[in-house]
Amino acid sequence: MDVKKEKILTDEEVDILQEIMNIAFGQAASDLADVIDIHVILSVPFVKILQAPELPGYIRDEIRDICNISIIEQKFLGKFRGNALMVFPSHAGKELIALFGLEENMHPDADPAETLGRETLMEVGNIMIGACIGKLSELLRDSVTYSPPRIIIENHPCDTIPDSQLAADDSAIVLKTVFSFDRGSISGFVFLVTSHESIQWLKEALRKFIERYE
Amino acid sequence: MQKMIRKILIVDDSPIARKMLKSCIPRDRGYEFYEAGDGREAVEKFRETRPDVTFMDLTMPVMNGYEAIEEIIRIDPKAVIIVVTADIQVKAVTKVMKLGAHMVLKKILRKEEVEDALLKAEDTLRKFS
Repeated sequence: MDVKKEKILTDEEVDILQEIMNIAFGQAASDLADVIDIHVILSVPFVKILQAPELPGYIRDEIRDICNISIIEQKFLGKFRGNALMVFPSHAGKELIALFGLEENMHPDADPAETLGRETLMEVGNIMIGACIGKLSELLRDSVTYSPPRIIIENHPCDTIPDSQLAADDSAIVLKTVFSFDRGSISGFVFLVTSHESIQWLKEALRKFIERYE
Repeated sequence: MQKMIRKILIVDDSPIARKMLKSCIPRDRGYEFYEAGDGREAVEKFRETRPDVTFMDLTMPVMNGYEAIEEIIRIDPKAVIIVVTADIQVKAVTKVMKLGAHMVLKKILRKEEVEDALLKAEDTLRKFS
């Protein structure tokens, strides 16, 4: 049997994960709206499970302007562990500076907007990833720690994710919630790359979660 | 005391979320349940069944909860709609209350919260009747 063709998660497990991510993204939006006075417009979350090496191709197919993206990565460590990747369009940093009202912090010195834009992107990535993973682990009764966020892709010509980030046995959970702001036109999405062991833990945790509602 | 709530409409695109909400509603009161998977279906079901209480999600495909609330309130300005949402931003809550929602409950629900919401809904229905 072709192992790769086996379902990594059942339809019911995907449904449960989708609802948990809906709740997690709601928390993320609320956390972000507390920091900046905006309304985050959420879309219905979409969950898809891939083998990790399929992820770059998936991102290329999903994102129209693949040559102009930034990817923020943050590792999370708990019983459920892996890398969270948040994809933004490249111009998002500058737009976020305006939304945060940080323009006055820009100096006329060398390349300040670039630096501030990167920092703002990382902060937004940190808030969104933290709220998503935090809520997911809380609901599944796990506890996680995080590495600091970092930018792994920034205006690389048509790159997606370096191969070194993706082990062949790993799974990628695509959690695609497009979030946009009532002001500005930024939207982005989140991917989680996780190991086979973590997926096994996740399946068990999802089963226990829904048992509480039987 | 006269029982006021007989029919309950649960609107959520996630079958799991509908199941979770249903599990928080007392089973011994003989409620009739109706379900809808998006806002448009909710409006149709509302028209057909005239539920006493409607639990409404906000983020849904086809027609979202905001639009569905507007439509339902247009059909029946006294409709008792309880929003059940993960979108807990202040602006989202303010908006649905302005549209005519009765109250907002934050996902994940607890049994006591849902029972309390149903009691409040019954109070409102009594005042309307």
